[in-house]
Amino acid sequence: MTSATTASADAILDAKSCTMQFGGLCALKEFSLAVGKGDLKGLIGPNGAGKTTAFNVLTGVYAPTTGDVVVDGVRMNGRLPHQINRAGLARTFQNIRLFKELSAIDNVKVGCLSDATPFFPRSKIEALRKEGNGALAYTFEAWGNYLDWWRAFLLTPGFLREEADIEERARTLLEVMGLAHRAEEAARNLPYGEQRRLEIARALATGPKVLLLDEPAAGMNTREKQDLMALIRQLRDQMGLGILLIEHDMKLVMGICENITVLDHGETIAVGTPEEVKRDPKVIEAYLGVESHELRA
Amino acid sequence: MTPVTTSPVARVLQRVPVPLRGVFPFLVAIPLLACVHFATSGAPFFVILSLGVGVNVILAVSLNIVNGMTGQFSIGHAGFMAVGAYTAGLTSTILSEYGLSFLPGAVSDQVMFTLSLAVGGAVAAAFGFLVGLPSLRLKGDYLAIVTLGFGEIIRVIVQNTDVFGRALGLRGVPQWTSMFSCWFIVFLTIVVARRIAASTHGRSLLAIREDEVAAEAMGVNTTAYKVRSFVVAAFFAGLAGGVFAHYQSIVNPGSFTFVKSMEIVVIIVAGGLGSTTGAVVAAVFLTLLPEALRSIFLGLGVSSETAQLVDQARMPIYGILLVLIMLLRPQGLFGTRELWDLALFKPKGPEHFPPRPREGGAL
Repeated sequence: MTSATTASADAILDAKSCTMQFGGLCALKEFSLAVGKGDLKGLIGPNGAGKTTAFNVLTGVYAPTTGDVVVDGVRMNGRLPHQINRAGLARTFQNIRLFKELSAIDNVKVGCLSDATPFFPRSKIEALRKEGNGALAYTFEAWGNYLDWWRAFLLTPGFLREEADIEERARTLLEVMGLAHRAEEAARNLPYGEQRRLEIARALATGPKVLLLDEPAAGMNTREKQDLMALIRQLRDQMGLGILLIEHDMKLVMGICENITVLDHGETIAVGTPEEVKRDPKVIEAYLGVESHELRA
Repeated sequence: MTPVTTSPVARVLQRVPVPLRGVFPFLVAIPLLACVHFATSGAPFFVILSLGVGVNVILAVSLNIVNGMTGQFSIGHAGFMAVGAYTAGLTSTILSEYGLSFLPGAVSDQVMFTLSLAVGGAVAAAFGFLVGLPSLRLKGDYLAIVTLGFGEIIRVIVQNTDVFGRALGLRGVPQWTSMFSCWFIVFLTIVVARRIAASTHGRSLLAIREDEVAAEAMGVNTTAYKVRSFVVAAFFAGLAGGVFAHYQSIVNPGSFTFVKSMEIVVIIVAGGLGSTTGAVVAAVFLTLLPEALRSIFLGLGVSSETAQLVDQARMPIYGILLVLIMLLRPQGLFGTRELWDLALFKPKGPEHFPPRPREGGAL
């Protein structure tokens, strides 16, 4: 399969022919995908096609066997998930993984990591990292974080300002996601649809450039799905995020995605606009199976 | 019921000017502690009892940072306490031979006491780092076994080292711990624990407890945070050890057995994992329990030998108590809540629950 990606020069997330092998099983083969600013792309495929594996490779849960994952111009192979998150990639989970005992606002606040440590501003650390000075960047980051604990112990004015700032950001995000009235409630007590939205709010709090949504509409009713579609579009338009969506619901995917990648058995079988993909015989085959007379023909 | 709430102290703090918020609790606590110190100077039995309680409170509150907030199960806290006790004890026995001649004797003692406590805490924290870095990659039972092993290793090492007096222990550690210094450190530990809980860092720790994979995906460096929580807990365990060494005057390995570690774990489980005030209440209650039992039995006219037996039956009583608590309240006395979350202290009526900004931080 020649990967017919729509790789643009300004792609923020760029996966270059990633292969993921678990022993003898090839879960993902030569997977390529690029998401740029303002893109809204979909990743579909039948059960077991390797969609979630692809997500896990992109977010650093697995290191790809071969191939590269590049975020914002930096090669991310072998980086830990939290480093990839800091680089600008945030995700949600297929089976909701909220911090159940914490309040909704605290869930979002966990994502709101402070932008600056007092001695080493994060921008400077990122700059170092881009220059390829990873070890030094890591050292600065670690020591900066240790020093930051002291500010928390002493309640320095700067620390209090930052906390107030985080509080405000978290409240704004909850408002955007329509959860402001649930701020003080424990995450586990929220209804299912709101838990899904809270997970998106938490991901947004990390300040991503690309948002990966793993089946955001699973278990939602038609009404909730429509609201979610509108919301995802709004996020893209207002924040200029690149969004990559895994979804089973064809209506949702076809309705909002501008570009769809179809996986089957770990292989990319089609890439294109919803209309192209819908007509692609391979896709129809993967989803509906091949009719017997076609086989004979 | 909100899971993490503003403490009454935080509400008071909101009215304090920002630059003073950090020190304000200490400005209140120091004169209060001084009053208590002088008021109790005529009651040595009470002082000794409260020093024991204080040490256990420090240990429980600090262990709660690891076991309660971060959700890692460490059962070797007595090991860090031993490191702190021996290092601080040794430092002060050496220092006490010199003395600072330009200061009055008592002041010079306190300076050296502070110094040796700091050394004890720092060495314990360094041990926390060394033990935590490799072992915090383990989870659950495996981590418990490693920490348990660490506690035992420390005990066996001091038992066989001449500098530490082998099985007899360190003798002649100056008795510098006072009501004031002990409870000041207790206060410090509680303030630090609460401030961690209410900060970005505390939220990251709680996130690790709730879901490690999700925390990692949200940009929390889980390994680093776990190690840091371990280091902070070890530091305060070291301070507790130092305080302990300076009122017992004799430090022997028998004080830092597995039983001591378990005692602290029992306290925080009983108080509710993740609740700082729960740890304090449980530590006070469970430390005083054997004493109270003994005085009650003596008061009932039982002979002192029988009362002694009751004292020795402390561990079985702990066991029964723990089983009872686990049956009746599996989440501990307070769960993850704090004292002020209990219905008893809640203002009544919905109009008392406006959306409240929490910029003050706890305590």
